[in-house]
Amino acid sequence: MTPAFEKLQKHLKQLPGLGYRSSERIALHLLVEKPGQLPALVAALEEAARAVRRCARCGNLAEAEHCAICADERRDRSVVCVVEHVPDLVAIERSGAYRGSYHVLHGKLSPIHGVGPDDLNVAALRARIESGEVAELILALSNDVEGEATCHYLTEHLPAGRDVRITRIGFGLPSGGGVLYADSVTLKSALDGRRTYH
Amino acid sequence: MRLRKLTLRHFRNVGFAALEFSGRQQFLVGANGQGKTNLLEAAGFLTALRSFRTTENKLLVGHTQHTAAIACELEHERLGETRVTIKLRHDGKELWCDQARVTRLADHLGKFPTVVFSSQDLQLVRGSPAGRRRWLDLTLAAMDPGYFGALQKFSRALAGRNALLKAGRAVDGELGAFEQILAAAAAELIGLRASGLQALGAQLKASYAKLCDDAEPAGLGYEPNFDEPSAEALLARLEAGRERDRQMRTTLVGPHRDDFHFSVRHTAARDFASEGQQRSLVLALRLAQAAWFQEKSGVRPVMLADDVLGELDPARRRRFWAAIDPASQVLATGTALPDGELGAWQIFEVADGAFVEKPARVEAIP
Ligand SMILES: [Zn+2]
Repeated sequence: MTPAFEKLQKHLKQLPGLGYRSSERIALHLLVEKPGQLPALVAALEEAARAVRRCARCGNLAEAEHCAICADERRDRSVVCVVEHVPDLVAIERSGAYRGSYHVLHGKLSPIHGVGPDDLNVAALRARIESGEVAELILALSNDVEGEATCHYLTEHLPAGRDVRITRIGFGLPSGGGVLYADSVTLKSALDGRRTYH
Repeated sequence: MRLRKLTLRHFRNVGFAALEFSGRQQFLVGANGQGKTNLLEAAGFLTALRSFRTTENKLLVGHTQHTAAIACELEHERLGETRVTIKLRHDGKELWCDQARVTRLADHLGKFPTVVFSSQDLQLVRGSPAGRRRWLDLTLAAMDPGYFGALQKFSRALAGRNALLKAGRAVDGELGAFEQILAAAAAELIGLRASGLQALGAQLKASYAKLCDDAEPAGLGYEPNFDEPSAEALLARLEAGRERDRQMRTTLVGPHRDDFHFSVRHTAARDFASEGQQRSLVLALRLAQAAWFQEKSGVRPVMLADDVLGELDPARRRRFWAAIDPASQVLATGTALPDGELGAWQIFEVADGAFVEKPARVEAIP
């Protein structure tokens, strides 16, 4: 192996889900087996790095200040579904059962891994509630201890004096699992069957 | 249930072994350190996917190997002929029951009861509370997925709260988020431990009476660290204790500090009982565990007697033998064969991780 190859492999190995073997295979594929595709990939990476960012309102992927969902006038902005990660949002969108807006926390409280409220996208959620536009929060976080603790935290530390209904979906979600692992039917019934938090 | 075939691959010092069992009594004989206990450990692993000797999976996987496997064919009261396969890696385990992958431990618990009698058991009376808590957790979780779930939730929430305290920047809001889960799971644990110890204590009283002539009543006494099984009360206590917990950087109150004691004639046995009484108490505890497993699951547990028959004097051994359910399978180990009055054994000689069945029954060493 050459130094440049090893450097590339080391970077690939840091990506989620890739180990030593798989990163080696990808590096070989890119550089030796299909080098013709490389310029297009590099261009796509550069373009994405330039264009893609967090939506200023909800934290979803966006290419402008706001994401496509926040920019859509037909979506109900008074209802906000709070999720841990962007793929959770995508899963709920795919279920087709939901016409409100979202808020992506980009994680959950996890003291064991050193993740506290300041590491999550909570300040922007607080701002949305303070602006008065939110009537209902639907907490769609994972059905485990960290997800539950995050729900408790949000319920008790969001701006006071606002009349916000807080519900949590949980019925039907696999225990210990998150939104991402539930199928569309389960998600739809989980959304329909949400319960008021306090 | 009865184990009919047990196959091990790369399990501790056993490279490969396939043992076929017939009848209800199997004896593994050999010098110490040859692998007798490893086989019992593998059989006991079936119950809750936990070893009775270690919490570290990687110790179970043979030296220089990546995976170990335990495969079991058994006759089961409810499931009929069943095959269970467990694969162990350094960082995890996989379970199949009749070719179907089982992904939730809760679906497995309570089906395949085994009870280990070990020469280390005396530590349950004499040793630290941690050993008793581990026994209690394993026993209750093995039969009750609800207990297992509460224990998992409690441990995870406790780890969260302790991580906040340890980092030294624990703000009330974050502590509170974990305390609510912690208190609810703790209340559930305290309630289930109280009722579980009561049922096990009643069984222990009955088994102890069978083992000892003098009819002194024996029992188990729960010593909860926080003795109110109410989530609200514990939550209030956790909130009130935050300042002290911050200083100590850990959670000082809760069921992770529970204990229980053995009693004879209503006196704690740790300090007053004789060694003979203490030995009888731990045997009675294991018999109680077996009776309780059978009551909870409707399945007759397999008895795994690790080097205990040889340690008992003849009178106590006879009584112990008479106290075991005569229909249950007994898998025993020892450095010498037991005497003839314990019945006919299928015998395996163990040397250096290999198991060889002795074709004919041999008269016992006197
Ligand atoms: Zn947005």
